[in-house]
Amino acid sequence: MDDWKPSPLIKPFGARKKRSWYLTWKYKLTNQRALRRFCQTGAVLFLLVTVIVNIKLILDTRRAISEASEDLEPEQDYDDALGRLEPPRRRGSGPRRVLDVEVYSSRSKVYVAVDGTTVLEDEAQEQGRGIHVIVLNQATGHVMAKRVFDTYSPHEDEAMVLFLNMVAPGRVLICTVKDEGSFHLKDTAKALLRSLGSQAGPALGWRDTWAFVGRKGGPVLGEKHSKSPALSSWGDPVLLKTDVPLSSAEEAECHWADTELNRRRRRFCSKVEGYGSVCSCKDPTPIEFSPDPLPDNKVLNVPVAVIAGNRPNYLYRMLRSLLSAQGVSPQMITVFIDGYYEEPMDVVALFGLRGIQHTPISIKNARVSQHYKASLTATFNLFPEAKFAVVLEEDLDIAVDFFSFLSQSIHLLEEDDSLYCISAWNDQGYEHTAEDPALLYRVETMPGLGWVLRKSLYKEELEPKWPTPEKLWDWDMWMRMPEQRRGRECIIPDVSRSYHFGIVGLNMNGYFHEAYFKKHKFNTVPGVQLRNVDSLKKDAYEVEVHRLLSEAEVLDHSKNPCEDSFLPDTEGHTYVAFIRMEKDDDFTTWTQLAKCLRIWDLDVRGNHRGLWRLFRKKNHFLVVGVPASPYSMKKPPSITPIFLESPPKEEGGPGAAEQT
Amino acid sequence: MSRISKNVILVLLTLTSSAFLLFQLYYYKHYLSTKNGSGLSKSKGSQIGFDRTQWRAVKKFIMLTSSQNVPVFLIDPLILELINKNFEQVKNTSHASSTSECKFFCVPRDFTTFALQYQLWKNEEGWFRIAENMGFQCLKIESKDPRLDWIDSLSGTEIPLHYICKLASHAIHLVVFHERSGNYLWHGHLRLKGHIDRKFVPFRKLQFGRYPGAFDRPELQQITVDGLDVLIPKDPMHFLEEIPHSRFIECRYKEARAFFQQYLDDNTVEAMTFRKHAKELLQLAAKTLKKLGVRFWLSSGTCLGWYRQCSIIPYSKDVDLGIFIQDYKSDIISAFQDAGLPLKHKFGKVEDSLELSFQGKDDVKLDIFFFYEETDHMWNGGTQAKTGKKFKYLFPKFTLCWTEFVDTKFRVPCETVEYIEANYGKTWKIPIKTWDWKRSPPNVWPNGVWPISEWDEVIQLY
Repeated sequence: MDDWKPSPLIKPFGARKKRSWYLTWKYKLTNQRALRRFCQTGAVLFLLVTVIVNIKLILDTRRAISEASEDLEPEQDYDDALGRLEPPRRRGSGPRRVLDVEVYSSRSKVYVAVDGTTVLEDEAQEQGRGIHVIVLNQATGHVMAKRVFDTYSPHEDEAMVLFLNMVAPGRVLICTVKDEGSFHLKDTAKALLRSLGSQAGPALGWRDTWAFVGRKGGPVLGEKHSKSPALSSWGDPVLLKTDVPLSSAEEAECHWADTELNRRRRRFCSKVEGYGSVCSCKDPTPIEFSPDPLPDNKVLNVPVAVIAGNRPNYLYRMLRSLLSAQGVSPQMITVFIDGYYEEPMDVVALFGLRGIQHTPISIKNARVSQHYKASLTATFNLFPEAKFAVVLEEDLDIAVDFFSFLSQSIHLLEEDDSLYCISAWNDQGYEHTAEDPALLYRVETMPGLGWVLRKSLYKEELEPKWPTPEKLWDWDMWMRMPEQRRGRECIIPDVSRSYHFGIVGLNMNGYFHEAYFKKHKFNTVPGVQLRNVDSLKKDAYEVEVHRLLSEAEVLDHSKNPCEDSFLPDTEGHTYVAFIRMEKDDDFTTWTQLAKCLRIWDLDVRGNHRGLWRLFRKKNHFLVVGVPASPYSMKKPPSITPIFLESPPKEEGGPGAAEQT
Repeated sequence: MSRISKNVILVLLTLTSSAFLLFQLYYYKHYLSTKNGSGLSKSKGSQIGFDRTQWRAVKKFIMLTSSQNVPVFLIDPLILELINKNFEQVKNTSHASSTSECKFFCVPRDFTTFALQYQLWKNEEGWFRIAENMGFQCLKIESKDPRLDWIDSLSGTEIPLHYICKLASHAIHLVVFHERSGNYLWHGHLRLKGHIDRKFVPFRKLQFGRYPGAFDRPELQQITVDGLDVLIPKDPMHFLEEIPHSRFIECRYKEARAFFQQYLDDNTVEAMTFRKHAKELLQLAAKTLKKLGVRFWLSSGTCLGWYRQCSIIPYSKDVDLGIFIQDYKSDIISAFQDAGLPLKHKFGKVEDSLELSFQGKDDVKLDIFFFYEETDHMWNGGTQAKTGKKFKYLFPKFTLCWTEFVDTKFRVPCETVEYIEANYGKTWKIPIKTWDWKRSPPNVWPNGVWPISEWDEVIQLY
């Protein structure tokens, strides 16, 4: 209606005119009565006409006017929408703008309540030991991060320092100790606590209790501490009650340029903490990567299913690497989250991807397996035209040439029925056993960890007989079973195109990861041209293996294969060793050899008809199981296959961890 | 004195109202010239009709979509029909020789309807904002993704179904098509939720969205009409024919899950192999009949399986299809034979009680029943081979809808409950394994006996 404003401007003009007219009229009209009558009727008629025309015009222009005024509206709508997305303001944030925070620390229980709502409560036995940290948004009081650092154990304090450094200045930090939090709390961590203004934190002693509330980079808002009187006892429980003044939303947010991406970033950063520079005000890390497109990308329209649980930091790292890979098409990616967790969904939304949540069915491994099934089915439903799907997990780094690798090899899955999958992961590809990023193998085992599934395989074979929830099976173990695999093989690269970084997980812990995953080789070279891809087809591969075996130099079998000197100090040679393998399922010697080579030895992986291929000291190293392998005929008669005995039972067990 | 003041008031009123009138006239003219400045000045010459709001709205919309690489195509039935009628002329009009008259996009109407395949839409969020900056007022209608519906444990981000973007008095209705298993495109139901302004546009007049719909994936072609480059279906006629019969019904996944909770699913190897074979047979039959252009629908047990449990009933031992007798073609038999399905038996004749049965692979039989239409009901016939007895199965009248079953698009009777209740009674929800086709159905009526002289023709067993 702003456009109506000109009307007052017109009025004075009319009024001035009106006065002179009125005078002349008055003069004339008093003289001529008839004329006056006529003018009066004329005026009335004119008035009527004006009213009618006015009404018509009002009707006509109303639409136009509303149009004009509505131009302003979309902006408002958007702001409203943003407002709705933000977490609901806490009760205390109304006129009072203060949160009351309660923090409790004791031997067996910790809890934190904000405005009467418990945001952390841990009284489970044998769990949650260490320093619990909670980050609150200083404007809304919303919980942005919750972590526990078991600083009784080594290295956890480093993780805590890393985390606390990432928290944006101004946030409200809450710390509380459960059981013990000082044993491995080193000086760096103590210095950091001191810099936060804590008195007791830097002096935290054995089995002390401690509760702390403070603003990062600002004042301490409350702290309580109780010393443990003796080695064998704990400090008294402490309960800290304090008021936290809230600041305005303005102060709590960064002033990024108003773009689509920053809108996503703002939404994310006002909700969660602990993602490093993505929320940095000054120089935030990008959330869009636009890697180079792949020329002739054969996997551009292959859907990518990311299987995720509640490990949002992992998911964040994984999606960053995935979206940075050459040839990625973000609209083909779907993240399937097992459970109604908010934070992983926030991460997915940050990158503008599609996220789907899945109600957990069953428990443990069966839960994972049901999640896989639902995710795979949904993927093929969402992309009914797709012939393949790429399956990834949230704890994988994706190589920059991941899609390039698939684009060059995916035609094999179409052309060769004897293939089960293409995987980006070489189970035996460690730093010291993998060398050639252009080389591919055929293996009888299914490695998983970043792989391509054929739709027909899934729809016709796997989906109908997928293990039901009450069977507590691992999906991958089930897929490796001979009933499912039916003699088919997978294509893998020598140098893996994925890297398994997950340390926390259902079947995973720090030691296990250190022993089997940490030293895995991971390709970082972009645009690797794979060599001779068609030689990976069933028959061609046999020709290739025979050629390799024919030109391979036979190693000195009198030496100990576990010794480093078993392979000469050459480069670029091909060597072969023959080990004893009585039957197709006799892997006694191989397992021992794998152990001393420090590669995967928990079950048999990476074999092709009794042949293993790997690299040692930059030489291609072939191992043939005699006499079970059909390649045994390449063994010179003079050579006696190596035999390694498995160690006595009590020493055994799943214990390659002991070796490292 | 009173007369003078009366006069004064009269004159004052006259003057103010004329001033008001002048202002309004001035404003109105001003408004028009700014709002469509370019359009007006350009079309002032020889071109007729190009100043229409419809044309301008469409032009702006096409500018917007082409600048954002959003491959929208025109599906407006009114305009497609016009284009189809004048197809030769449209094709011959090159872009350069500009038409002098706006014929297609200037026909008075409230909406112009476009469509889009969702998976080709790269930048939905950004597009939306640009549209609003260009002056469009947009309404987005979202819903949950039906492709995830049958897995009850999944809840995804909602998918957009319809956009309605208004510019001045004309609205562009953008129907978002989603790909479904079975190589077809699906669009959703335009359901107005509580907060939506019901007066935003005259929703009742929309051509799409009253029901969900299914369409063959159209091939597209680029044409120039009324000076605008638009994509339209390559075969506009085919698309137009699809529209009235495009209504789509989703399988009742929720009820199916409830069914399986009550009656556990048969997961034995035999059941799974039967389902696999039946599925392949259904898909093969669908392909064969589609090639012939014969309309058909899921009937009897297959229809019951779809409706009750969204899957093939494992103990049904055959698959059943229905075809209207007026759609009968004599080459159906040979087409099936070419597809590897030999004729097993043929009962009746085209004039009466025709029924065909084909032998699928792996012992699964394909039964095709032909339906005859009477004034107030439909029926199909049955014949007992041994005795020559005829039976008649009565159904209330029904129309056909699309659905998705075993990853394929099939027709089913829209009035499914009535159809199934006629055939299986009110207790169709309870699975029954023993079923006598001559006695069990509540809608079966004896229909006399075939005269022995005709047996050779009406009872053919192979």
